Amino acid sequence: MPDNIVQIMFFTLWVAALGTACILPPGILLGWLLARKRWPGKTVVETIVALPLVIPPVATGLILLKLFGRRGPLGRLCEQLFGLEIVFTWKAVVLATAVMSFPLLVRAARVAFEEIDRRLEDAAGTLGARPLDVFFSITLPLARRGLLAGTVLAFARALGEFGATVMIAGMIPGETITLSLGIYQHVQLGEDSAALGLLGISVALAFAAVWGSERLLRKHPA
Amino acid sequence: MSTMPDTALLRTRLLRRHSGFTLDVDLVLPGRGVTALFGHSGSGKTTCLRIIAGLERAPGCHIEVNGEVWQDDARGLFVPMHRRAIGYVFQDAALFPHLNVAQNLAYGKTRRPAARPVDDRALITLLGIDHLLNRQPASLSGGERQRVAIARALLAGPRLLLMDEPLAALDLARKREILPYLERLHTTLEIPVLYVSHSPDEVVRLADHLVILDGGRVVAEGPLTTTLTRLDLPTTFADVGMVIEGVVAACDADYRMITLDFPGGSLRLVHDALRVGSKLRVQIKSRDVSLSLHAAGDTSILNVLPAIITGETMQGDGGHVLVGLDIGGVPLNARITRMSRDQLGLKIGHRVHAQIKAVSVLT
Amino acid sequence: MKPRLFLSLLAGLCLALTASAAEITVFAAASLTNALAEIGPAYTAATGDTVRFNFGSSGALARQIKEGAPADAFLSADQLRADQLEKAGLLLPGTRRTLLANTLVLIVNKDAPAAVKGFADLPGKAVRRLAIGEPKTVPAGTYAKKWLQSQKLWSGVIDKCVPLDNVRSVLAAVETGNADAGLVYKTDALISKHVTVVAEVPLSDGLDITYPAAVVKDSRQPEAAKAFLDYLSGPKSRETFARYGFLSPN
Repeated sequence: MPDNIVQIMFFTLWVAALGTACILPPGILLGWLLARKRWPGKTVVETIVALPLVIPPVATGLILLKLFGRRGPLGRLCEQLFGLEIVFTWKAVVLATAVMSFPLLVRAARVAFEEIDRRLEDAAGTLGARPLDVFFSITLPLARRGLLAGTVLAFARALGEFGATVMIAGMIPGETITLSLGIYQHVQLGEDSAALGLLGISVALAFAAVWGSERLLRKHPA
Repeated sequence: MSTMPDTALLRTRLLRRHSGFTLDVDLVLPGRGVTALFGHSGSGKTTCLRIIAGLERAPGCHIEVNGEVWQDDARGLFVPMHRRAIGYVFQDAALFPHLNVAQNLAYGKTRRPAARPVDDRALITLLGIDHLLNRQPASLSGGERQRVAIARALLAGPRLLLMDEPLAALDLARKREILPYLERLHTTLEIPVLYVSHSPDEVVRLADHLVILDGGRVVAEGPLTTTLTRLDLPTTFADVGMVIEGVVAACDADYRMITLDFPGGSLRLVHDALRVGSKLRVQIKSRDVSLSLHAAGDTSILNVLPAIITGETMQGDGGHVLVGLDIGGVPLNARITRMSRDQLGLKIGHRVHAQIKAVSVLT
Repeated sequence: MKPRLFLSLLAGLCLALTASAAEITVFAAASLTNALAEIGPAYTAATGDTVRFNFGSSGALARQIKEGAPADAFLSADQLRADQLEKAGLLLPGTRRTLLANTLVLIVNKDAPAAVKGFADLPGKAVRRLAIGEPKTVPAGTYAKKWLQSQKLWSGVIDKCVPLDNVRSVLAAVETGNADAGLVYKTDALISKHVTVVAEVPLSDGLDITYPAAVVKDSRQPEAAKAFLDYLSGPKSRETFARYGFLSPN
């Protein structure tokens, strides 16, 4: 049993980290586009990205299942192109956590970028920095507090994701069971002590994430 | 009017229409010294600067600096701002908060080859920021921040320095602290400066050339002294003051007075910290200049200068008259009542005496 | 040439492996988790085939199979879900069977005084709150309502019913004393140390609480899946299921 708990803990950490890492580049890019540019369809994209915050996670999971399932358009594409089967594997857990955390990251990134004084970017431009250079030497460092906070938030959300995961990845022991799924399963089976054990680990991880981010923020004050 | 097309640095034709506001500016500016873009807020000064810097792209513009075309929409040409050799000083300094002073100063140097060589140490010393290099921007005073911003812009070796109300965000004490640095820069800097301001004091102290903007249009433009004494300025600019530039010829330590020689004569004024031979700019308001037909002997007024009346214009609903004077080639205006003019029977071409109290000559 | 040789070797190896030992994925109702966790390894030890379980509520599992989840076999906690999949043509014809049976029991808190002795006490004053599954969505609730109606007790308890979202919640409500009695599956009642079973619905009384099983039509290894279902009907599995409170279907 302890073996099992350790496996679930590391699996959850790994999946949450991978999911967060996957959404970091597109999340930051989209946050920047939303904060700084006007483009057609902006409101539509904004709404779609925010959807997982609003609709029940199980519904998000169902949508993902329809898209990435064997009969789904994206699922078929993945299988034909890469021979990749996503649903009911660990990849589905990563996908679910990524989709559910994405809006939080995008929102945080957008606010972080909006809070930056545009004149600092202008100043960098007048000093000879190209737009990409301005982004990496000025915009990104100045937004790092907000981006870090958003990343921690996304990671924490990924740690606790349940509804979408259970729909698209199922509860496959040793393969797709994360802390949240494990807690639910143990509760369903009346194994309260095991559920409480996993719950303790979840709480400890959440504390560690928040404490770690606080330390990081304090080390590099903006 | 435009007497300097051969030494012209900047030729611009700017046109920008934006939510009811039209900017229409056609300028040829000198390649030396400080040109002030002067006007009330909303007159389009800052927009001019941003378009010249390339921070904003307005269609239908033509911008040419030192023979290099930066924007010509007729030919679809637009040089992006990072390739324009400019230095830009923002109103609030815009120092990068995540970099220390030295890193701020180095930012431009590593990114664009300097258009002209810069003596880093001399510039840093001139602006008095040697001791700040390891500090973070947040720990600097407003004046220090602005000096670092000026140094940062100049260290990149620009061909043109653009300053957008660099003193507007500072209180009076900080302004007093930084103005001497700007004056020193003015005398040592070889590159032209475009200086946006709505403060008459700054313009009078720093500018050589003046462009007055109002409602997106140029209402007057030319060398500082002649432009400030034009009789056709809109009334809102009429009491900015006039400038006389001269050399200290004598000092009286007892009375704390100096004598300033200028092409039209000499002026006496109160000043206690200048040596003979140093250059000085003084400011005189037209309402502080009075006229008399004869040089009165027993008067407290120390400055009585022979002058010829060159023109006049009615002001203040016909209660005032602004009288244009020529003092040995130097233009000056006197604001008097219409009643005085009629009692003295003043006409263009008359010889009169301009009287200026020494205490109303400002430095 | 060398890569080609290597590839064909690899392919041969894969074939050999799949021929000797299959890995099948079984979607099973959550209530079967513990029993199957025992049976799975035993099956692997006996046959060499490995079984991967995905546990969930029968409704969610059926939904997932409908959307193309890679399941080889389906073990449902109610006939309705299997009917739906069968109607949609998603089950392999001829493989459906009824595997297990369950029954409803009436539970009370272990520490509570023995005021409730049978179903007949439910309308009385001893029971202020009766916990059941939500009749519309939770099968155990549906069965509970049906049973109470057939016994003409429904109208007497309708006002004290607390419908809950799953059987586990019903159990928790009785365990914590928030409900005076509850109706759950016999298998659930056996899980808890804090409740006592005071009455059991006889199997013969028309409540067809049975667990169907079938091979999924899209299965890539229907033979292996069928073999596993056969094993579940075998004596060794039956013995295990019985220990967890499941009954054999008639």
